[in-house]
Amino acid sequence: MSHGSIIKIPFGPQHPALKEPVNFLFEVDGETVVNVKPRIGYNHRGIEKAFELRTYTRNIYLAERICGICSDAHTTCYTQAIEELLGVEAPLRARYIRVIIAELERIQSHALWLGLVAHEIGFDTLFMYIWRDRETILDIFEMISGNRIHYAMNTIGGVRRDIHAAMMPKIKKGLDLMEKRVKYYLDVVQTEQTILKRATGVGILKPKDAVDLCAVGPILRASGIKNDVRADDPYAAYNEIPFNVITCDGCDILSRIMVRLEEMLEGVEIARHALDSMPEGVIRVRVPMKVPQGEVVSRVEAPRGELIHYAKSNGTTKPERYKVRSPTLGNIPALCKMLLGGYVADIPIVLAGIDPCFACMDRMAFIDTKKNRKWVLTMPQLRRKYKRKCMQK
Amino acid sequence: MEKENEIVEMLKEFLKENFVKANIPNRRRIFVHIKKDALKDTVKYLVKDLQFKHLSTITGVDLGKKIEVIYHLAYKGSIELSLRLTVSKKNPSVSTITHLIPGAVLYEREVHELLGVNFEGHPDLSPLILPEEWPEGVYPLRKEHELAYLKEITSKKSKREKRN
Repeated sequence: MSHGSIIKIPFGPQHPALKEPVNFLFEVDGETVVNVKPRIGYNHRGIEKAFELRTYTRNIYLAERICGICSDAHTTCYTQAIEELLGVEAPLRARYIRVIIAELERIQSHALWLGLVAHEIGFDTLFMYIWRDRETILDIFEMISGNRIHYAMNTIGGVRRDIHAAMMPKIKKGLDLMEKRVKYYLDVVQTEQTILKRATGVGILKPKDAVDLCAVGPILRASGIKNDVRADDPYAAYNEIPFNVITCDGCDILSRIMVRLEEMLEGVEIARHALDSMPEGVIRVRVPMKVPQGEVVSRVEAPRGELIHYAKSNGTTKPERYKVRSPTLGNIPALCKMLLGGYVADIPIVLAGIDPCFACMDRMAFIDTKKNRKWVLTMPQLRRKYKRKCMQK
Repeated sequence: MEKENEIVEMLKEFLKENFVKANIPNRRRIFVHIKKDALKDTVKYLVKDLQFKHLSTITGVDLGKKIEVIYHLAYKGSIELSLRLTVSKKNPSVSTITHLIPGAVLYEREVHELLGVNFEGHPDLSPLILPEEWPEGVYPLRKEHELAYLKEITSKKSKREKRN
């Protein structure tokens, strides 16, 4: 029902925890979103320029710091790009270790996301449970690398640390625990009314729109499109490990939850398989400082979707041009589409649904352009607003 | 590599005199250099006939006197084709592909803002990434801008903010 006046809502932009803080300008008619304009870059750090000014070795550390949650995806993408330019290949054992780390990272990243989604829909008990379980994976990372988040495992020509036989029992125990818990959560999200009511039919992205808007990762797969860089364009040791590409055709938030949970289970299987079939041998080869002239496109399936790096070298120790496109940027046009026609109260959950690293907003200012009024809603107030709405239903 | 060769041959036949060169550096990687004016038709052909429906991103590279624009398109998520063309630095302008691939909308804005390439026919080329007070005509990823100069711009900005 039209209320006759379009209200503009600036949304964001400051989200201290986000990799890419986002500002949206929403135009709403009553409770319905009729237009969305994104404005990104509030945390633009000029990393692409910084890549051109540092040596290839120092750039590993820079790539690690593009993202806090999927740091390993970026270094994998970076190191395999430079390896291709150098014409070297990482040893097989190193590539298996990359797979193990990537899958553990996917499990912890999806767990983090699911916790946030639970929090957004006001189901804080689930949030606490999931984040407790996520600690298992972070502890494994700490044992392997000494760090919980920035593991700094990759280097040009291989990996920096080995996974020793003594670590195997703890990793496998952790994976068993995660499997048990994820299966339990799969049961919970399919039976618990709090989640079903909040996530079914919300944030619809039709398969055609998903393809046209170039969506990536779990968002694309939750719209029924079977696309995964690990399977389509295998890197590291993914061509030697059997796994399934998970899809779901619900096109809504529930499908995105299901896809990610199933991917966690698949990740457990991949990590187990890699641990068992990992060959003996060296974990890195030494590479020269200077990289010959050339260019390369490198792709990785990060937890949030397709990550693509482009590198151009000029024969010196520093790259000529380095381009990074993170999955979140790829999903923003699709996100705008999902928000269109939805309710204001659905904004937090739909935004969280694409997993833009940490999808949370500090505050929102509502401006009524006709009456020239302005007021601000905090996140808890907004949550209460939609909770009331749900109760009325 | 058969599929990759086949795609290059089909493109060669389609583009005729607008084809500059192509190479296949690795499995599932193709680089094709085309003339600027053929962009719209080529992208249409790639999307509609060759099933390159996914645009991974658009990269801009400063080559000195020219700027290179590279469109990274994926075939069923697998083969990554990098379609490149060059525009002059004095008048960097190329037609938009947003009507063919709606997902290109933010990537074009990014290249426009960081390298100053004008995408003709783009619905909205307003600032996307750089701070609101960023001076017009300064494109940070162009080689002529030294880091010290860019730092000066940002430090001026923060000083102003402090004063306010």
